[in-house]
Amino acid sequence: MFSPFDIPSGAFTLITDELSAPADFLLHGAVNACLKEQATKARVPGLRAKPESGAGPMVLVLSSLVDLAKWKAVASKQNVNLTQHITNGTVKFVDVASTEGSEMVLSEAFNSVSEIIRSSSSEISERLVILDDVSTLEWIGFSPLDIMRFVRALRIACHKANWTFIVRYHVVTPNEVDEQLQQLLGICTYHLDVRPLYSGRSGAVSGEIALHLGAAARQDEVKLIKRSGSLQYRLLDTGPVYFQKGTSEGVL
Amino acid sequence: MSSFKRKDPSKQSNLKSYEGTRVSPASSSTINTSTGISSLDDILGGGLPLSCSLVIAAPDLHSSYGELVQKYWVAEGLACGHRVCVIDDYAEDFLRDLMWYPKSTLSVASEATSGGIKEKEGPLGSTFEDEEDEPTPTDRKVKIAWRYEQMKPFQTTVSTPSLTSENYCHVFDLTSRVPTPVVNEKLVSGKLSLLAPGNPNRTGGATMSALRQVEQVLQEQSTVPIRICIPSLGSPATWGDITPSNALQFLHSLRGLLRKYPHGCASITLAPHLSSDNWSGSGWLQKVGWVTDASLTLAAFSADPALSATFPSHHGIVHITALPSPSTLVAPSDRFSTLRGLASSASGFGGSGENNLAFKCTRKRLIFETLHLDLDGGVSERRTSAPSSTAVELTTATGTSISASAAAKSHDHSQGTCNDHVSSGGPRIDIEFEGPAVPEEKKAVVAGELIAPSPQPETRPKKPKKKVAFFSDRPDVYDF
Repeated sequence: MFSPFDIPSGAFTLITDELSAPADFLLHGAVNACLKEQATKARVPGLRAKPESGAGPMVLVLSSLVDLAKWKAVASKQNVNLTQHITNGTVKFVDVASTEGSEMVLSEAFNSVSEIIRSSSSEISERLVILDDVSTLEWIGFSPLDIMRFVRALRIACHKANWTFIVRYHVVTPNEVDEQLQQLLGICTYHLDVRPLYSGRSGAVSGEIALHLGAAARQDEVKLIKRSGSLQYRLLDTGPVYFQKGTSEGVL
Repeated sequence: MSSFKRKDPSKQSNLKSYEGTRVSPASSSTINTSTGISSLDDILGGGLPLSCSLVIAAPDLHSSYGELVQKYWVAEGLACGHRVCVIDDYAEDFLRDLMWYPKSTLSVASEATSGGIKEKEGPLGSTFEDEEDEPTPTDRKVKIAWRYEQMKPFQTTVSTPSLTSENYCHVFDLTSRVPTPVVNEKLVSGKLSLLAPGNPNRTGGATMSALRQVEQVLQEQSTVPIRICIPSLGSPATWGDITPSNALQFLHSLRGLLRKYPHGCASITLAPHLSSDNWSGSGWLQKVGWVTDASLTLAAFSADPALSATFPSHHGIVHITALPSPSTLVAPSDRFSTLRGLASSASGFGGSGENNLAFKCTRKRLIFETLHLDLDGGVSERRTSAPSSTAVELTTATGTSISASAAAKSHDHSQGTCNDHVSSGGPRIDIEFEGPAVPEEKKAVVAGELIAPSPQPETRPKKPKKKVAFFSDRPDVYDF
């Protein structure tokens, strides 16, 4: 699902990032890759035909701020026509932070999302739910307990239907692990950690990524990337270019 | 079917083109508005894009640079013809202090036709710089080594746009105030509105009511860009007691509103106590950076004498927390900002880091510049205190070397004391004069870049030696 990390589908991946190295590109990449893969499968004769409408969305993006213009603009740079997918119902954006009245609870959002997951047909195997992002929900006033319950419930719903679940978390204090992050680390299967370079911003390298096993992982079927040997990337408008730390293949 | 789609030129520019805006060089779907300060526009990657919010944190209690940036924002909005909304209980006082065009422009503009202005005055912007920042060409009679003759003078900031160019980033003068008739006319025509948040006593009440009013304004019309200005978010007088959660929710919801009505943009300055990173635990400014599109901190030196002595020609350091990228993965500023310097380093081999940035407020304007440290040990460390007989020669040599090396960083020697005390952060030098003839010559050389050199008395009384913060006890390494 995630190239170049071979994270299997159906897993729960936690992505942590910092303000100087945001992980937007990973989320955009995951969505676009999922849509492209489906489009490729639909074109190959012999494989199952394109799913009819009513089979439910392939990609669900739950966001505290739905910025459609940016999603569409970035997708078009990667040759994905997001507008068409939204019209088809293949991609659905849900705003979880909008609250009716003064109550800030996530139960309504969860009900609608779980309904979508449950009612989707199991024809398509590669389905994706992205929750972007957990930390903003806490900052704008949702209770941490409510948020954790939401995440856990979503995780179970996705696991039952074999949907891939990705959650993003912003780290604001790089050297401390706060309670919410601890809880998230305790339930995730994989943890993708995006960090800026220790020496500050650079023109050639935008940041580095490490892949760790989460507490819920069973065995290491996936090649991990340690922090010391992390994969560095340089962000371009068309997406990231990855290279091994200390080398400059294809970048410089 | 191929996945290549031919770009339909008719669909290409379906964006509304607003007056006083520019299309971003990074993406044709992003429209930039100017903040009124050309160097800040450069840092942001061409300007603040529509549908984005900018937050300035100004943690210093003794200065108001954050508010100054907001004044530029409003003045630029008025000059471009945008709709401007100021949200503050004391908005009228704020407006009274707005800067405006330089007086000379106004007098010329009133007599010349629009076409005639172009030929008459030329770029007035560069004259500002000439007056204050660079020595006039007549002083540069010093012969520079031949290999450096072709080099451009060292530049630390972007040039001001000329007055006659498009309706973007107008040149304002801090010494002139906006005329009251202009403000009144804008208020009456609806181009300028003052909103008061109200309800400061109820916790969170002020922010909710402000959001409602902003939404009303954004819903009204979409033919002209709307600039929202909040000069001091969190100030107790206007906003009451604001909790971190309120503030973040406000900024988050404001960003949501701006995305919903993409012809609006907002510029907010946080009150000083909200601008420190430790408000509500650590990581506060990072959180602010996440819930807004662009976030800068202007950390002034006023409270820290050691820093003001190290960087005597600047008034504070700029920290960039977040930069706007409304439709691209990479912020346009990374590719197009001259001041930050990332673009030039990325294209070559390897990448150096970005430049340090600082700001200074001269008599006429606010400038953001690159910040460079002195040569190792400081330029002045190599000089020794001269015997009085050679006062003139040494002064000439040091005078020109000062202006050459510090043309970029220091144009504003300490007022009135430059004649017997030359220092730029290193150990001080005392140069004493022999007679009344000397000050004239020295004045011409050293004070060539000053606008109004202070008048010299005929005989100077002996002044006690001045001590600056930096004082090296060790003997100078380069004691010749």
